[in-house]
Amino acid sequence: MGAAAMNLILNEEQRDCYQEITNVAMGQAADRLARLLNVYVILPIPKVNMISASELHMALADTTINDDVSAVCQGFIGSGIAGEALLVFNDASFSDLAQLMKYKGPLDRHGELELLMDVSSVLIGACIHGIGEQLEISFNQGHPVVLGQHCHVDDLVKSGNHQWSQTLAIEIHYEIENVNINCDLLLLFTEDSVAKINQQIDYLLD
Amino acid sequence: MALPVLICDDSSFARKQMKRALPDGWDIDLTFAVNGLEGLDAIRQGKGEVVFLDLTMPEMDGYGVLEAIRKEDLPAMVIVVSGDIQPDAQERVQKLGAMAFIKKPIDKDKATKILTEFGILSEV
Repeated sequence: MGAAAMNLILNEEQRDCYQEITNVAMGQAADRLARLLNVYVILPIPKVNMISASELHMALADTTINDDVSAVCQGFIGSGIAGEALLVFNDASFSDLAQLMKYKGPLDRHGELELLMDVSSVLIGACIHGIGEQLEISFNQGHPVVLGQHCHVDDLVKSGNHQWSQTLAIEIHYEIENVNINCDLLLLFTEDSVAKINQQIDYLLD
Repeated sequence: MALPVLICDDSSFARKQMKRALPDGWDIDLTFAVNGLEGLDAIRQGKGEVVFLDLTMPEMDGYGVLEAIRKEDLPAMVIVVSGDIQPDAQERVQKLGAMAFIKKPIDKDKATKILTEFGILSEV
């Protein structure tokens, strides 16, 4: 506990570096989505924090507090660094998304699932790749897993049996200009990875 | 005389990366700004004949800086260095008079190529 916990504090320089790296990666992901949907994606400043398992629902609830959501998660691993990407999609976004994707089928649970998988593969894939590229780590991605459809954020987080006490969380909120589409992408690294990824960050800062 | 060059970005890491990406032996007088307002102030004082400008910044963003440069007819050659690389962003800054657009992350090759292309580096 002792030594590991020491590493779990980010100084301002490290936080700034994580933010900038995320900025670049989420910009690459947004560019992919913008070209796919022919829209402009509004890019906020990403939030980088060390959070405890009990704070996870707060990180998510920020933007999707009362709405029904659907969510996908996808693991990634490389060079001793592992984590999960969690995409939480506001259910109210599906009708506009279907239009932009020119989706012709019925917008039932299957239709929504298809759209959700398409968007998550673009956003998660590009973002993980972008972060890995800057840290000079090549991440392998696992299969995406649907965590739930038409559920509440609390249920998503509750259902997981969290094995960690504190970890690094990067939160990105995506919105699309002029249409009702928004989602949250949360990158969570395992507790063991934090010290290693901090090393990479310090190397970049040096 | 050393060329006044300004790096305007809210991230200290990004400013550092930008500084590292500048060509070796380039005779410049380097100034840093941490937001658009500071950047614009520096340009007004003649500290930014060449400006490396981020887009997403607090106080005043890169678009605001470009608008002000145009409005006040300030003598600045602006190279936008941005993480937002969407087609709309590139088009918008070009319309606002930016000389070039570089996709982050910046490196020495990208910086040298642009500076050479626009003849800024010819004397080195």
